[in-house]
This record gives sequence, structure tokens and C-alpha cells, in this order.
Amino acid sequence: MSASTVSAPSRAAPAPSRAASRRFSSRRVLDLLSHAYIWLCLLVFVMPFTALLVYSFTGPGGTYAVENFQYVLGSFGENLWWSFRIAGLTLVIDLAIALPAAYAIVRYPLPGKRLLYSAITLPLYVPGAVIGISLVLTYNFTYHLTTSVWGLVLAMAVGTFPLMLTPIVVALKDLPLVFEEASECLGATRWQTFRKIVLPLIGPGVSAGLMLAFIIVFNEYLVTLFVHPTGITTAPLRVFNLIRTAGLAPTTAALAVTMQLISFAAVLLFFRVFGTRYLRGTYLI
Amino acid sequence: MSTVRLAAITKHYGATVAVQEFDLDIADGELVTLLGPSGCGKTTTLRMVAGLIEPTSGRIHFDAEDVTFLPPRKRNIGFVFQTPALFPHLTVADNIGFGLSVKGQKKAAIAARVEEMLAMVGLEGYGARLPAQMSGGQQQRVALARVLATDPRVLLFDEPLSALDRNLRDTLKYSILDLQRRTGKTAIYVTHDQSEAFAISDRIVVMNAGRAEQIGTQTDIYLNPRTPFVAEFIGANNGLPGTVTAVEGSGDAARTIVSASGMTVQARPRAGVRVGDAVHVYLRPENIDVLEGGDGAGYENVVEGRVERVIFEGPTAQLRVDVGGRELRVDIAGGQRLTLLEGRGTVRLGFNEVTLIPATVDIVAGSVA
Repeated sequence: MSASTVSAPSRAAPAPSRAASRRFSSRRVLDLLSHAYIWLCLLVFVMPFTALLVYSFTGPGGTYAVENFQYVLGSFGENLWWSFRIAGLTLVIDLAIALPAAYAIVRYPLPGKRLLYSAITLPLYVPGAVIGISLVLTYNFTYHLTTSVWGLVLAMAVGTFPLMLTPIVVALKDLPLVFEEASECLGATRWQTFRKIVLPLIGPGVSAGLMLAFIIVFNEYLVTLFVHPTGITTAPLRVFNLIRTAGLAPTTAALAVTMQLISFAAVLLFFRVFGTRYLRGTYLI
Repeated sequence: MSTVRLAAITKHYGATVAVQEFDLDIADGELVTLLGPSGCGKTTTLRMVAGLIEPTSGRIHFDAEDVTFLPPRKRNIGFVFQTPALFPHLTVADNIGFGLSVKGQKKAAIAARVEEMLAMVGLEGYGARLPAQMSGGQQQRVALARVLATDPRVLLFDEPLSALDRNLRDTLKYSILDLQRRTGKTAIYVTHDQSEAFAISDRIVVMNAGRAEQIGTQTDIYLNPRTPFVAEFIGANNGLPGTVTAVEGSGDAARTIVSASGMTVQARPRAGVRVGDAVHVYLRPENIDVLEGGDGAGYENVVEGRVERVIFEGPTAQLRVDVGGRELRVDIAGGQRLTLLEGRGTVRLGFNEVTLIPATVDIVAGSVA
């Protein structure tokens, strides 16, 4: 232990600390910039919705008015209820078709599988107005469905079916075949295997499909505009009609905000239920 | 608890033949291993026994019952996969009880059976866990408990230990053997690992290119390989092409003289091998001794060679010895003797155990033509 070896670290010490402080300050600047960027994004994307929210609470003469929301339960209540019913029926139909379809597409060697899948998912790439015109034509000439609620429900089912199908197909593809084989070797029938093993394990895919389809159906107005039966006005259609006839009223904004909240709640519910808890303990996490 | 009979089982995938005319009779309570390199058709055979694949032709019987076209669920089998394949969303107890619950058994009966099975595989108290909360070895034990819970007629294992680490494999293979013995189940075990097959089997089927090359006990296939493939696949072997030049003596003293790669080798006669026949001569590396001086008394065959390489492996060492232009592998104990060899150019090798296999061996059904 000579003196020089002891003093060496103390001489070297100030140099790293100067370098560290330089690094520290540049990191701080970068930190601030990235924070600013995030807040800017939030501002740009959330601002329109905030404006709507503020406007929905605006009373006559710029006062504060919660009463706007009483229409949501009052005269708009019926529109929301229709939206819910149509969304519900559509989801049932979508699911009833998509589950077996996805199973067939993934698990069986169908000839022309890719072409079939592309054809089925066509509504995803076709503009709503085009779907609307096609449906009006089809309904007029063949099915005569325009006067019943089923015409609208079927239109929604056609439009959202690929949204339901795709996540289920992806989930099934990710599910190793060995679980189904194990189940069958243990004596389960195909139906038992599907219900007790496959369905729970593709649950996240199914629920993602349900969420996507719900949000689209619940908020769809363009296709509805084409094929809605007289006497049935969904919430988005009501918003559209009101704005066209009465201009932008705070009460309309209140309905729009309510619709947004419902969609947002659907997304939150999805992540709450399926985001983490469901996946824990599965092979997916 | 059942005999299993495979009669001329064949599986084609288009033009590819996965399994060719496979015959096998398994006695009640016997553990038979299908051993072979990857792609030899062993897993395909097992999956046909399970009903997961339908054979192109041939028949499968459990006892007197023809199960060839029955779906897996009607065969009452226990299939243990390469991965534990535990249902990730069900607890360990629900996994073990699954086979009973789909058959509509009462909850109390299932719970009792689950407890019994957990005790059997040494996992008492783990019933409430999810599979992901257990180690790989524990999961595979749960998979064993799950198939045993349904009291299957036949246990089928598809390389159940290949996904586990070495130490775990060693202990778990004896657990599997122990469970199979205790339950008295007939079992078919597929593996590419010779030491695994040798450790647990009653009989071993060596498979190659969709065919059974040889069916026999460990000593049968190791000491009396019927085909060049078996001789080379099982353990290490030196294979030399040769020609039979003479047959001398009679009875126990009878010897077949073979000229192979410039060496003249004496071997015990083999049925069907005559003078002038082309044969494969096999010398196991551990049956060749390095002679320390002396005249090589006690050895029927003594040859001289040059040590090319010494590969020290700890307990043993491999010597690569050039004998007349052909390299022979010689295994010796890895201790002190190794130092004696260092720096020595030529050595004399002595050996008695020589296996002859006719070059024209017909491997169909593992029989020699």
C-alpha cells in the first residue's frame, strides 16, 4: 500500500463526475422533449373530444347546464336502446358464424382457403357507402328485408363479421393442436373439447372480436343510413339527423359524449377483464 | 391392461412412406420402446396406435378388439406428449380430473381419484395450482397423473422427457418405469435416446425409414445386431466391409475367417454366412484392448496400428488408431493408462468379440434372408 495507489482514485474522481453531469443534463433535455411530445400528441388527439365534452355542458347564454344529459335518458334513450339491441343481435349472429368458420379455416385443409378468407374479409376494405348501396340493391330485389330490424342487423353482421373472425382465427392459429389431441385422448368428444378447452383458450381472441364488432356496430351510421327501417333510429343516426336539421346543439353533443363514453367503457372493460387476469396462467403469458 | 397387436401397419403421405408393413405384438403389462432417429416413423406409429392418425392399411388390436378405426376417445388410452400439454386454464386437479369429468363421473369420485393420483406422482397439495406455476418436471408428472386417472388400457409415451434437462430426464425415466410397473399397464414408449430406451424397456424396437430393423431385448440388439443399421445406430461401432475366406473348426470352436481391410479376422460363425459371402464386420470400440507387451495370448485377433488421435473424455478415452489405412475407434479407461500411450507411435490391439452381418441382409420385418 503506497501513497500513490491511495491518491490515484481521488485524482481520477472529479473527471467522471463532470462527464456524468454532462450526460445527466443532456438526458434531462431529452426527457423534457419526450414528455412534451407525449403531451402534444394527447392534446392533438384528445382536444376535439374535450371540446365536445365542454360543449355538451353548455347551457343557453354560455351557462353551465347538466340538463343537456337528461335528453340522453329521455328522448334519446330510445335511440341508445336501439343501438344496444342491434349491437347485441349482431354480436350473437357474428359469433355464431365466426366460431365454426374460424375453426374450419384453421383446423381443416380447405381448398382455396386463402381466397375464401380474403372474400370473407372483403367488407373490411370496402367503404361503408358502397356496402350501403349494395345492401339496398340486394334487399330491394331479393330479400325484402328493408322493413324489418333484421335487415339492419344483417347489414351490420356482414360489415363486422371479418372483425369478429380475424382475432378468432389468429387465436386459433396460436393455439397448439396438442391441447385438442390431449383432450380427445382423455375421452372428450369433439364438442366437449371445443367447449371446455378450445373456447376458453381462444377467449381473448373472441372477446377482442366482440369488442371491435360492438364498437363498430354501436357507432355505425353510414350503412344504417342506407338500410335502416322506418321507425328505427339508432343513436349515431339521431346525432347525424339532428346536426343536419337543427345544427350543432349542446343536447346533441351530450348524446355524442354518452356514445363515446359507452365505447370507451367497452374498451376499458375488455382490458380490465381480458388484458391481464385472464391470460395469467395460460401459455400466452 | 391389454395386449396390443399391430399387423402390417402402413402409413403413406402422398408418395412418402412414413411407416412400412410394421408388425408388433406387445404382451400385457410389457413396456416396449420404439427407438430410432428422427423421421424413422416411430411417432407416426405411436399416433396410429392412439388413433390420432389413421393407417393407410393394416390393423391395430387391443386384446381381441379391432381399434383400427376408432377415434382416440373410444380407445381408452393414456397419451403423454412431448410437452406436458396441461390445459393452461385449468388447475392441476381439474387437469387430472378432466378425463373423468368428460365421462360424467360424480365430483366426489373425481376429487378422490385426483387425490390418489397426486399422491401417486408425489405431488400432494399441488391440486389448486395452475400449470404455469409448476416446473417442467412437475408438469410432466401431472401429465402422467392425468392419463393414469382414467385407468387406460394402454399407455403411450411420445418422447415425454425430451423437453426436460438432463438430470430431470434421468430421474423421471425411472419414475415412469416405476409407475408403469406399479399399475401394470401395457406401454409403448417412443424415444431417440438410447440410454432412455435401455434403462426402461422390456423390449426395444429399432426403427429406420419406416421399418422395424430389429425387435429384441437390450442385450439382443446390442450384442447381436441383425442389420448394419442396428449395429451402427446402437452404441458406437467400427464397421468394416469384408469377405468370408474360410470356415474352420466345429462346435464351440468353429470360427469364420474374414478378410477385411487387409486384416484377417476370426469370428464366431453366424447362421447363413458361407465362404465367399460379403459381410460387414463390426468391432465395438470397448471390446478392443490395447496390448501392453506380451504376445497377445487370449486374443483371437491381434493387429498393429498407429495412434492418430487421443480424445480424453474423463472416465474414458477414445483412441483413433490407423490399422492398414482404416481408422478404428478404441475406447479405453481414461485413467493412468492414457499417459502410457502418449508419445507412442504404434500399438498392438487385441479383440475377441466380432459381429458379422451379411451384406445382403433383408431388413423387411427385421429378419435376415
